Amino acid sequence: MQCETHGTTPDLIQAFTETALRNPERAALVHEGRVVTYRRLQELVNGLAGRLGPRRGAIAVPATHTPETVVALLAVLAAGGVYCPVDPAFPPARQEDMASAAGCRAVIDTGTALDPRLGLPVIRSGQEEPGRATASTTTGLGQDLSPEAPAYILFTSGSTGRPKPVVTPRRAIAASVRSLRDLFSLTEEDRVLQFASLNWDTSLEEILPTLTAGAALVFDREAHSGSFPRFLRTVERERVSVLDLPTAFWHELVLHLAEEGTALPDRVRLVVIGGEAVSPARLADWSRLATGRVRLVNTYGCTETTLITHAVDLHGPGAPAPGWDWASGTRAPIGRPLPHVVEDIGDRDELLIGGPAVALGYLDMPRATEEGYAVVGGERRFRTGDRVSRTPDGLLTHEGRLNDEIKIRGIRVDPAEVEAHLAGHPAVNAVAVTGAVSVGRAALVAYVVPRPDAEPRCLDGDLRAYLRERVPAHLVPSRITVVPHLVLTTSGKVDRRASHQRYATVNRSKETVDER
Amino acid sequence: MSVDTTAAAAGDPPAGPGAPAGPRAGADTEGVVAMFRRVLESEDVSADSDFFLLGGDSLVATRVLSAVARSYGVELTFEDFLGAPTPGRLAEKIADAR
Repeated sequence: MQCETHGTTPDLIQAFTETALRNPERAALVHEGRVVTYRRLQELVNGLAGRLGPRRGAIAVPATHTPETVVALLAVLAAGGVYCPVDPAFPPARQEDMASAAGCRAVIDTGTALDPRLGLPVIRSGQEEPGRATASTTTGLGQDLSPEAPAYILFTSGSTGRPKPVVTPRRAIAASVRSLRDLFSLTEEDRVLQFASLNWDTSLEEILPTLTAGAALVFDREAHSGSFPRFLRTVERERVSVLDLPTAFWHELVLHLAEEGTALPDRVRLVVIGGEAVSPARLADWSRLATGRVRLVNTYGCTETTLITHAVDLHGPGAPAPGWDWASGTRAPIGRPLPHVVEDIGDRDELLIGGPAVALGYLDMPRATEEGYAVVGGERRFRTGDRVSRTPDGLLTHEGRLNDEIKIRGIRVDPAEVEAHLAGHPAVNAVAVTGAVSVGRAALVAYVVPRPDAEPRCLDGDLRAYLRERVPAHLVPSRITVVPHLVLTTSGKVDRRASHQRYATVNRSKETVDER
Repeated sequence: MSVDTTAAAAGDPPAGPGAPAGPRAGADTEGVVAMFRRVLESEDVSADSDFFLLGGDSLVATRVLSAVARSYGVELTFEDFLGAPTPGRLAEKIADAR
């Protein structure tokens, strides 16, 4: 097993500090064209870490596409605290659920504030005077920087409707980030676009390898405009060399490039994708574009196994020759394990992952933690729930899920979580939620049986509004259909897939209601 | 690895005015209706149909925004689209931006 880095990888903050000392004048962050050098970033981090003081436990941080969020992330880690990003655009009820599930003790006000209803002490990230803070702040607080200490808490979908907090230790992030710097071949010349929302772990695979390699992390609001012409101009103007994109977004980018007959700006040398199955049709489109010099790397990983565990070059200079024949519908592999990753294939072909990048478990959820992990040869393995096959040369291909979880825009969704929220509405008697492929992308669909006394006419719109007040956008179904009853299994449980198959052809909920 | 661009896109302020207008025809509601039908693969679209109630999301919205840029030379943002989610209102937005 390839596990030699375990315990020997330096802590992330040590790696960042050494990088900052080596590259004081280089750009660490570029925000709307404004540069924050490594020296300045370290001052800001040390200043905020000092103000956090010996504050153990989780600290909620507003997750926005700004340098302030990155400063808060590094400061919390430097102070030995636990970083817990919360998207301020989420409904207040969700923000409260997240902060309470993570046991947050305080919240940082980065200039953007989280909902005041969180009721936590607020620490302001102020402007440090240049030259004032010292490097010793990062190591002088007597904090728990041990490899097993928790570093951050992120959330996955839970079946009860409550967000499920995953606790990731410092060793996991250190080992994973080290592998990713190598996988991406990052150098001080690279400029990496910050694209992922800051409350998902993909953002950490953009931020942390970059800032421990002396490269620059580029923030630009135009990248999030939803307009590909604007996105591509930003990539060109900011001389971006590395893009890390959700596969679903990359599919749309390829469609746009193919229709325009253009390629990516010249400086882009690496495109990392991940989050769901890659479409062979889009790979075929990509291969026909002038993309031969760009590394296209497919990646796989779970929040519980820290960023990326598997990767493979699908196209470009790192891909095997003669290459795959995407046009005939070949499925793209998810890759080989990175150097720090231990893998096993268990019962029913389930991918099991071990090594230093395995998370500590779900906070205060001993049963879910026990169910989520297996022990192989005395070592913990995370049960991914993904079925895989392995070629003789070690390349894995994803063969499906062992449970009902769905990927929506790259985010794992347990349909039971959405069902739990919908079932909380007073007009709802029963509900089934599942995934469907619609206009070429995965979408959530819900089938709802109203209570006998409920007025079904506007129920789909009411339910949508009800969900929007409670959950993030990726948990709101694209379609909510009101139906007379659901299909049950022989044992009397709701059969999600069969319910979907029964009603999928009926597009509009009102038609269905009228049939009753 | 997981990511969501929706919240980010929705939370960001609208960007500046679109790029210079191209030489193509002015935006008409019927043109945008046809665009919605093509992108959503559904004939069930009228001038006041809400894209996001017809099953559209931030990903599929990029296809509409790319089509608008190609046909009318106007580079609208997702935020613009959220504020004008029907063919009628989007056509007005396109006309205003030209």
